[in-house]
Amino acid sequence: MSGTLTIFKKELKGFYLNPTFWVICFLVSVIFSWVYPIQLNLFAQLLLNYVMQQGVPTNQLNIHYGVFLRELSYLNLLLIFVVPALTMKLFAEEKKLRTFDLLLTSPVTSLEIVLGKYLAALGAVLGIVILALLYPLATSTLATINWPPLFIAFFGIFLVGAVYAAMNLFASSLSENSIAAYIISVIFNLSIWFIGIGAEVVDSEKGRKFFEHVSLSSHLSTLVEGTLRTNGLIFFLSVIVLFCFLAERVVESSRWR
Amino acid sequence: MIQVRDLTKNYGPRRAINKLNFSIAKGDVVGFLGPNGAGKSTTMKIITGFMAPSHGTASVAGFDVFENPLEVKKRIGYLPETPPVYGDMYVRDYLRYVAALKKVPKEKIEAAVNAAIEKTNLGEVQKRLIHHLSKGFKQRVGIAQAIVSDPEVLILDEPTVGLDPKQVAEIRDLIKTLKGQHTIILSTHILPEVEATCEKVIIINKGEIVAEDSIHNLSTMEKGQRRLHVRLRKDVEDMSTVLSPIQEITAVTSGASRKEWNIDLTGGEEIVENISSLLVTKGFGLLELTPSKRDLEDVFLKLTYGQTQNGGEA
Repeated sequence: MSGTLTIFKKELKGFYLNPTFWVICFLVSVIFSWVYPIQLNLFAQLLLNYVMQQGVPTNQLNIHYGVFLRELSYLNLLLIFVVPALTMKLFAEEKKLRTFDLLLTSPVTSLEIVLGKYLAALGAVLGIVILALLYPLATSTLATINWPPLFIAFFGIFLVGAVYAAMNLFASSLSENSIAAYIISVIFNLSIWFIGIGAEVVDSEKGRKFFEHVSLSSHLSTLVEGTLRTNGLIFFLSVIVLFCFLAERVVESSRWR
Repeated sequence: MIQVRDLTKNYGPRRAINKLNFSIAKGDVVGFLGPNGAGKSTTMKIITGFMAPSHGTASVAGFDVFENPLEVKKRIGYLPETPPVYGDMYVRDYLRYVAALKKVPKEKIEAAVNAAIEKTNLGEVQKRLIHHLSKGFKQRVGIAQAIVSDPEVLILDEPTVGLDPKQVAEIRDLIKTLKGQHTIILSTHILPEVEATCEKVIIINKGEIVAEDSIHNLSTMEKGQRRLHVRLRKDVEDMSTVLSPIQEITAVTSGASRKEWNIDLTGGEEIVENISSLLVTKGFGLLELTPSKRDLEDVFLKLTYGQTQNGGEA
């Protein structure tokens, strides 16, 4: 596994020493710095006036629902487009610049290559999630925060980012063209949210349960509410393993094609 | 060191190489010669474990390339046609990365990188981004990455393509200095390169080996054959009729002008004497008469393009 570590270190350095990553971080923080205070302000006004208002859902009076979960949904939206930008070059560019030859003629297995790159992509996703986590952390100076649900919620969004990273790594391995890899990735990331819609159109009980089970949103919603459930974790993990496996197959296929 | 048996590779319906058989001993410097598209790169890619053949086997240092790819790859340094360098890395960091990738033990990485930088003369650019280097330097970085793990076998795929003459000479000198430390396979379609660096040549055409021998044997392949180069003061319209009295002449071709001719003949020095006296008596004004050996280029052209002509395709 030393090959994984070598590739991981190189790729992680490639992310964090590359201006592109910091430009992305900057843009993400610009969006949050605009949206987050507005959310916080709306929440504060709601608290001031809720006695006068009728029919406000009680969970909206909790900062976790009222502010943090909204931030998470924006973060998710951003990740759908940002993760492909981070991962698109991982394989596509190697193929285009012919540096892929070096990897394939080095004493490392395809699995080590894919794992090294995947873990590095996770490192980059983690950076962006931590960046988003800074906002609730800053809020803790103004309000009392229940920490465990907050961290579990961010862990949930990190897992979703990890699923994107796995799918997008696979997309990158399919193409020599970074732009094509980016577009395929975004389509993957969007379409995984649409699978759950199937639950609303099938009639049979079994079919509905199936779609509910493979829907990313149902698993994410329990996590963002602060509940860790093993079936959710197993679902995320299986999707990640599936796409890493597919990417490994694609890399391996270039040896016999 | 390297054994190749019945190696065949198909790209779809097209057969790139067909039943190649050769072996290379430890310490040999072998030129792998052939016109573009002959299957040189394909063969090299198979030996490096980059791709699998359709049939046949290849082994390096006793390890089969497919059953034991990792062992083989540890022993091989490979420079592909395009040097596999990352533009956004510093030369030194890049070499460190390759050394780690090639499983050089951690404590030896710095020493290996230093040695590679010294051999390839990269000292002055080691702290620069590869992206900013000239093509010749990139190529040298490519060679440095191939030798950084001190591999037993060095495979260089067209190492001097696209370089200026000075850089070409430098790379050739570099390859010469690597002789003796590694078994080297050098693929190229540039003949002087082979003559300058290699001891043995494998000529490949249309996916098949057409000759495999030492350079010395190949250049004197057709024994008793000579070529004379003559330069005259006067134009001669048809040299072959002029020389027709001499039976031993096999071919007469004109050179740059009607004043220069190449004469192929079989036989000894007395024939040369006959030709010179004939040309003198005819009063053509013989200025120059040089015997030239058939060189590698002729052999190469004959073996590769000559075959297609005989086959009626060209």
